[in-house]
Amino acid sequence: MSGTAVSTPARSAPQAAPGSGFRVRPGHSAWARRRDRRGLAFVSPFLVAFTLFMIVPLAYAIYDSLFTSRIIGGTTFSGFSNYTQILTSGMFWSGVVRVIIFGAIQIPVMLIIAFFFATAFDLGVAKYGRSFRTIFFIPFAVPVVVAALMWGFLFEPVYGPFSHLANLFGFHNVDFLSSGLMLPSIIVIAIWEWTGYNSLILYTALRSVPRDVVEAAILDDTPLWKIIVKVKLPMVRPAIVMLIFLNTIGALQLFVEPLILNNYSAGVVTLNWTPVLYIFNTSINSAQYNLGAAMAVVLGLVIVAISVTSLLFRRDRGEVS
Amino acid sequence: MTTVTERPAASPAPSAESRRDRRRRERIEEQDAAIPVELYGLKRGTVPVLTACCVLFAVFTLVPVAWIIFNATKTQANIFGTFGFWFARPFEFFHNFRMLFENVDDDGTYIQWFGNTALYAVLGGGGATALAAFAGYGFAMFRFRGSKVLFYIIIGSLLVPIGAITLPLYLVYAKAHLINSIWGLILPSMVAPVGVYLMRTYIGLSVPRELVDAARIDGAGEARIFFKIALPLMVPGLMTVLLLSVVGVWNNYFLPLIIFSDNNKFPLTVGMGLWSQHATTSGDQNLYPLIVMGGLVTIAPLIILFLILQRYWRSGMLLGSIAN
Repeated sequence: MSGTAVSTPARSAPQAAPGSGFRVRPGHSAWARRRDRRGLAFVSPFLVAFTLFMIVPLAYAIYDSLFTSRIIGGTTFSGFSNYTQILTSGMFWSGVVRVIIFGAIQIPVMLIIAFFFATAFDLGVAKYGRSFRTIFFIPFAVPVVVAALMWGFLFEPVYGPFSHLANLFGFHNVDFLSSGLMLPSIIVIAIWEWTGYNSLILYTALRSVPRDVVEAAILDDTPLWKIIVKVKLPMVRPAIVMLIFLNTIGALQLFVEPLILNNYSAGVVTLNWTPVLYIFNTSINSAQYNLGAAMAVVLGLVIVAISVTSLLFRRDRGEVS
Repeated sequence: MTTVTERPAASPAPSAESRRDRRRRERIEEQDAAIPVELYGLKRGTVPVLTACCVLFAVFTLVPVAWIIFNATKTQANIFGTFGFWFARPFEFFHNFRMLFENVDDDGTYIQWFGNTALYAVLGGGGATALAAFAGYGFAMFRFRGSKVLFYIIIGSLLVPIGAITLPLYLVYAKAHLINSIWGLILPSMVAPVGVYLMRTYIGLSVPRELVDAARIDGAGEARIFFKIALPLMVPGLMTVLLLSVVGVWNNYFLPLIIFSDNNKFPLTVGMGLWSQHATTSGDQNLYPLIVMGGLVTIAPLIILFLILQRYWRSGMLLGSIAN
């Protein structure tokens, strides 16, 4: 490109290299190395942004979490005291337990529904599969804040249509947003929000199961449920494991739904209802930034631990290439 | 030798085919790919029962959407006083819509938030897609010192939860004077590790190395090869990453919530959250219809965008991230 000075590079360069003065790895020509330096040029814009907005904040949060600031006495180094405070207080862990319960119910229920519909669409045993797939996917385009606002209106205890409905069925004065029913209500919202997306991914995975495998099973007179459970399910298991993993990371960060629903039913959602809510309230609302940073680090570690465990589990089963 | 041999323009799809033809062709292809239902040896009535299940779940999916459409036409009294799934008099749709252009209770103007969100989504989502395209291309087409390690670090960062990175960002912004700066939201939105991963996979599958090498031998510069040869082949993958990034920015709540104290910089999500908080605490007569109408106007563009871009949507790409 840059004028006539550039000669067409020799493609089989290793033999040509000895005279050029620098060591060349076999099979890796000077030309190829120059080219690969350009590879770094393609990657570097992302790397700069990644460093500034991912690595630096994480490092700074870890640094910040080792200090304590007081109104009198200023900011002093306090080692791991923030961490011992978090790990020994029940406030943080009660939130962790709540989001684990949330995930333990929401994720299996959602995945079963998603797999059910994905299978039905894949086999073509339900009519109008295309339209249903599109409809089920709509909630993915609804911001979680707006989803929580809409469901808040529907669940509202005095005027909301759902409590009217419950009345019709003989359940009087049901408050879907009371402290006892808040978590189940949020589970319903999360299922509404994410089932279509999960179902679409499972559907795509099911489509990639080779057709002849299924045909062979049919010719053997294998009943349909057996084809689904014994043939299709094992072949999409990597996809299911990955969805469990992604949904778990999401569930542990539950934040927006309880924060918004609290507007409809003040006082039910406590400051430490979920870990991220607790981080938010500790740092932004109470200005205890060092403690908040330590919590962010602990939450990050908990999530990494759970993710790595699930990946190791997957490796044990020989599913990672 | 300074010019690249003219190649036939790599258009992603022949444009002669009309929409309807394409839809019909896709439907027929889908039918051909499926095994005829009769072969499964199903009991009679299975298909209607399964279809009924789909209808039930579709109703569940559409209930909140229907509710928001009906109630966007109502006054505050009617939102609470009339049946939620039908219209009521007076028909206030246009009045409610007009209110979106007014600054209610000094909380801020909806239309401003809408503009902000669009700006953040275009810059953040577009930037994320561009960076992911460059980086994905770099990782797919070149091997350089440390490229593997760098790639694994980027993949590893997928484990870092948004909830855990947001407060650290805030702490850094407090030092760097990025609080209340729109760049404090836009720049981190451009960091999409999953986009890099998806683009690397997609480029590896859809851009032939031989083609790139041939262009190099013809003397084309790397930038030119990227824009003229590789980019047209990446379009479907780019669209998927763009959709995911735009949705990510459009939905983002936690970060803008904590870094913006100036209401005029809010995105829709934060503005709507503020309204919902004030609706319950101040008892304002006008806020509920605004929230409902605002919710409708918030979700409409994304749903329409999805329906339009559906043919670019590569759910297979999401799966690609799983296969590994």
